[in-house]
Amino acid sequence: MSAEQIDQLYNFCQERYLWQFFSRSWDRQENLDGIFAVAAALFAGEEVKRDTPMEKLFYADAKIMVADFQERFPWIAACKPEEIRSLLSGVKDRLTEIAITKSLNGELTHSLY
Amino acid sequence: MPMVLLNCDKDIPEREKHIYLKVDGEDTRDFLPISNAPTIPGTLSERGCAFCGAKLVIGGVLKDTIQMVHGPIGCAYDTWHTKRYPSDNGHFQMKYVWSTDMKESHIVFGGDKRLEKAIHEAFDEMPHIKRMIVYTTCPTALIGDDVKAVVKRVMEARPDTDIFTCECPGFAGVSQSKGHHVLNIGWVNEKVGTVEPEVTSPYTINFIGDYNIQGDTQLLQQYWDKLGIQVIAHFTGNANYDDLRAMHRAQLNVVNCARSAGYIANELKKRYGIPRLDIDSWGFNYMAEGIRKVCAFFGIEEKGEALIAEEYAKWKPQLDWYKERLKGTKMAIWTGGPRLWHWTKSVEDDLGVQVVAMSSKFGHQEDFEKVIARGQSGTYYVDDGNELEFFEIIDLVKPDVIFTGPRVGELVKKLHIPYVNGHAYHNGPYMGFEGFVNLARDMYNAVHNPLLKLAATDIRGETTTRFLEAAE
Ligand code: SF4
Repeated sequence: MSAEQIDQLYNFCQERYLWQFFSRSWDRQENLDGIFAVAAALFAGEEVKRDTPMEKLFYADAKIMVADFQERFPWIAACKPEEIRSLLSGVKDRLTEIAITKSLNGELTHSLY
Repeated sequence: MPMVLLNCDKDIPEREKHIYLKVDGEDTRDFLPISNAPTIPGTLSERGCAFCGAKLVIGGVLKDTIQMVHGPIGCAYDTWHTKRYPSDNGHFQMKYVWSTDMKESHIVFGGDKRLEKAIHEAFDEMPHIKRMIVYTTCPTALIGDDVKAVVKRVMEARPDTDIFTCECPGFAGVSQSKGHHVLNIGWVNEKVGTVEPEVTSPYTINFIGDYNIQGDTQLLQQYWDKLGIQVIAHFTGNANYDDLRAMHRAQLNVVNCARSAGYIANELKKRYGIPRLDIDSWGFNYMAEGIRKVCAFFGIEEKGEALIAEEYAKWKPQLDWYKERLKGTKMAIWTGGPRLWHWTKSVEDDLGVQVVAMSSKFGHQEDFEKVIARGQSGTYYVDDGNELEFFEIIDLVKPDVIFTGPRVGELVKKLHIPYVNGHAYHNGPYMGFEGFVNLARDMYNAVHNPLLKLAATDIRGETTTRFLEAAE
């Protein structure tokens, strides 16, 4: 696993997924946490809970992301489980930085919608 | 130096903070245009007023609702039928316009009585219509007419009616965006939860932020029908007033326009626990992804794949025909906000078109985060652009076609650059698979139409005096 591989996935996520750009920082964080947790489980072949509405939502977003990664970045098939885990956490960290911690969007912390 | 001070802005240097030129190696952590901020004195803004954002964009789309505009006649006329959002009941909402037609004496003596009379008159004239939205405008808000008290009296006198009051005069915010906000929050506060829908499917959604522009909603409705998904409410394309009162009963909010309607999706999540799923409804790849996500939510993936395969078989060859001929076309998008980020990558991926400049009238920084993430390097990203900036940017990027509204469209026509109506479309719908082929066709016809070049030829040569345009 290399920084370049994280870059590729990160750039793809940035240009593709709207869930990182929700209205407030807590919505963005909730999406990133939920989707990346399910994506890790899907890559590991684990059973994913789909009981609550939010679990179903994260499953839907994560399922499409995992399929996109597999289709567009075939090298991912050769990664070992622990490599996938650190890949995902690397991508998530970078998305968290650009969408939340270092975002210049002045509306992210308004208490009301 | 990615924030750009254009030559035409040298006397209003504050504009530099609103214009960004993307270069490789930078992202939105480094630069993000200021947006949703007051228009700078000295710049000729293209924005609409806050009332317009509530009425023209959202409320006025409803197909069974009288739109009573409490103000001078111009507020009503300027927000009527400039957007083409048809309905399946004979386009009631586009045929009529209602106003209290406030004149000087009413401003001096108060407009409450006039409003009450107008509401009764409208209901009497249209006895089959029982729903109404009343809007305040700048003059009636300034004189302090108590619209809610009037509405309460009328509803007591006419118990079979329901009226929503939208208090968002033109001056309430910096652009249309404020009107979206006020209507969203007012509606969820006062109306959601007051009607129980008839639920006919195990799968229910609200489709939020799609206004049936030239039939967008009706086209997408074919997909939901095929998937067996019941749309409790379209917010607000081809919708009835009471559909929107039942939004609390959907299992999922599918959001297209996050700018004009993200507020109500957020509130429905907060108050009723309904998750929010944002999708892009323009473009093949995006539409397929949206359908896949909705189907994955409900566990009906096979149905989704069957629908996507069917639509691809029907429309993809036509899209590819246009792609072959549009590849390399340079496009500018000067619209409200969200279409910048919905379109920039879909025209690139699906049609091979390069978007070289984008301008947003009322987008917020969230919209610029999205569009800068999706858009190309070397592209200009402009907040609240003005005419002279448009002319200068055209010189810099030389677009082949501009997607914008009719007003700016008239300007660019004078430069003999084709424009396609990016708000109300030329020949839509543009959403969905079939819709994106329509968009491609309109772009192709615009780019390859010889008329504009012919119109630029003056056989009289240099012997006549040319009238100079403002930009020269
Ligand atoms: S700015 Fe005020 S007066 Fe003008 S159209 Fe809007 S509401 Fe009417």
